[in-house]
Amino acid sequence: MTEKANESRRNFLYLAAGGLGGVAAGAAAVPFIGSMFPAADTMAASKTEYDVSTVAEGQLVVIQWQGKPVFVTNRTPELLKQLDGHDEMLKDPNSEAIEGVSAPWMTAENRKYRSIKPEYLIVVASCTHLGCIPGYKPSAGRAEWGDSVPENWPGGWHCPCHGSLYDLSARVINGSPAPHNLHVMPYEYTSDTSVVIG
Amino acid sequence: MLNTIMKTKLFGWVDRRTGAEAIIKSQLTEYPAPKNLNYMWNFGSLALLVLVLQIVTGIFLAMYYKPSAAFTYGAYTVAFDSVERIMRDVNFGWLIRYMHAVGASAFFVVVYMHIGRGLYYGSYKEPRELLWIIGVVILLIMQGSAFFGYLLPWGQMSFWGATVITELFGALPVIGEYLQQLLRGGFAVGDPTLNRFFSLHYLFPLLLAAIVGGHIHALHVVHSNNPEGIDLTKPEEKIMFHPYYTVKDAFGVAVFLLGYCYFVFFNPQAWGYFIEVDNYVPANNLSTPAHIAPVWYLTPWYTILRSFESKLLGVIMMGASLAILFALPFLDRSKVRSARYRPVFKQMVYLFFVTVIVLGYCGHSAPTPTLKLVGQIATTYYFAFFLLLLVVPKFEKTKPEPEGI
Repeated sequence: MTEKANESRRNFLYLAAGGLGGVAAGAAAVPFIGSMFPAADTMAASKTEYDVSTVAEGQLVVIQWQGKPVFVTNRTPELLKQLDGHDEMLKDPNSEAIEGVSAPWMTAENRKYRSIKPEYLIVVASCTHLGCIPGYKPSAGRAEWGDSVPENWPGGWHCPCHGSLYDLSARVINGSPAPHNLHVMPYEYTSDTSVVIG
Repeated sequence: MLNTIMKTKLFGWVDRRTGAEAIIKSQLTEYPAPKNLNYMWNFGSLALLVLVLQIVTGIFLAMYYKPSAAFTYGAYTVAFDSVERIMRDVNFGWLIRYMHAVGASAFFVVVYMHIGRGLYYGSYKEPRELLWIIGVVILLIMQGSAFFGYLLPWGQMSFWGATVITELFGALPVIGEYLQQLLRGGFAVGDPTLNRFFSLHYLFPLLLAAIVGGHIHALHVVHSNNPEGIDLTKPEEKIMFHPYYTVKDAFGVAVFLLGYCYFVFFNPQAWGYFIEVDNYVPANNLSTPAHIAPVWYLTPWYTILRSFESKLLGVIMMGASLAILFALPFLDRSKVRSARYRPVFKQMVYLFFVTVIVLGYCGHSAPTPTLKLVGQIATTYYFAFFLLLLVVPKFEKTKPEPEGI
């Protein structure tokens, strides 16, 4: 056998053995990486039930879902009126920016409410910029809030971290660093007032 | 393959800043190893593999394990529950925990074989005394690490095993009481003990990794012994570590993994030898299990402890049984290394292996008068073996060693 023939056979064997070893190592890594994903009990705790009738008119309640804060607001008819007339200030007035996550109940007429029942807005309370919890500033104008909000403030949320602004349907206002409206997570009413989130 | 990689520009850049090529050549591709190493020489690389497996699985387990003796409901505790959560809820948690638990026993199987090989072929003798001594340090740290780890599930065996072993230190005069409290962080094994044992269980393997580096460095200075136990002077008696022994070690790894996987997947408790059944009962400081024994790899030393009527003497002799390993290179002055050419030593060392197994069996069984006597006889021989080595070379007629291989 020549030296050259030996070399190529050897290289083939190295590659074959090394390749197989690489596949085995990759397969062995699966359970280790897999173990770092949420465990079964964490997954089981991924739904939250809440009775919205406990939220008084005009009140904001923060509840938890999957360890994240969730806003539940009971919007009065006056607050609902504040949703109109500022669409030009919004980055995404009809919540269409993220494809494929629109719930079936998001019909043309309740796009501005962003909720199944117009009065109860339920959204993830994490600013879509970097996850802080925005502060609730429902009244319109600067009377209550000073210059932390713009002059034509329609009422809504103001994030303390980097100044993102949202209206009363948690739609992000132009000029905010946040890219999207506050997320509406999947939820459904299991009775007139009982909501299952997740 | 490796040579092709070492010729690349990138490797060259790294090499000029680290001297990587010289290290790879001296330690691997051009490291000369005796050509006659048998399969007993596979256990060193296997021990390294198991150490890595233990560290990796341990790091992932620590992501879910909680060292707290606080009660949850009933007799359950945060620590016990977190282990059960790993078994039931964490993705692949059962696999990682069983790999770790089986790995602990596998580590000792491999290391005891490695030590037995060193004994039989005289690998502890000049010039490898320090290599052997570093190895004994590794053994002690391993045993400590295993002992700390066994407390963590906070089951009955965890609790009472830790109670018994920490109680041992209380036997020492004057400092005993304080040493015991220092280990426990209280007057009995409890929450502080669990927390510090977890901390030490994480620390010790890191120490091991460093000392194993020293062990390998020391080996590469004095070079491997071989089954003939003779100094190899001629170049043709040696072969390159890579590819010859990398391939042979890889084959050993494949065989080892077959056995390891059998236990991990089909028999993780190994009939109660790897994980004791009582450890699935939550720790109860008011009730000792009917029969308590350490895990198999600590039982030989446990028998030595039990063989003495005086508590203090038992503790001292158990310590001495491990400490005497440090002295071995200086006790045995025979110029011949391998048992192949030492007929008396060969019989002695075989009997020593049997003795350690007998000690292990006695320690694992419930104490009876017969087993106590057997244990005492075995203990006697355990120490006699080392002391006899002082005199054996004076009368032992060794066989002629070969000139070369």
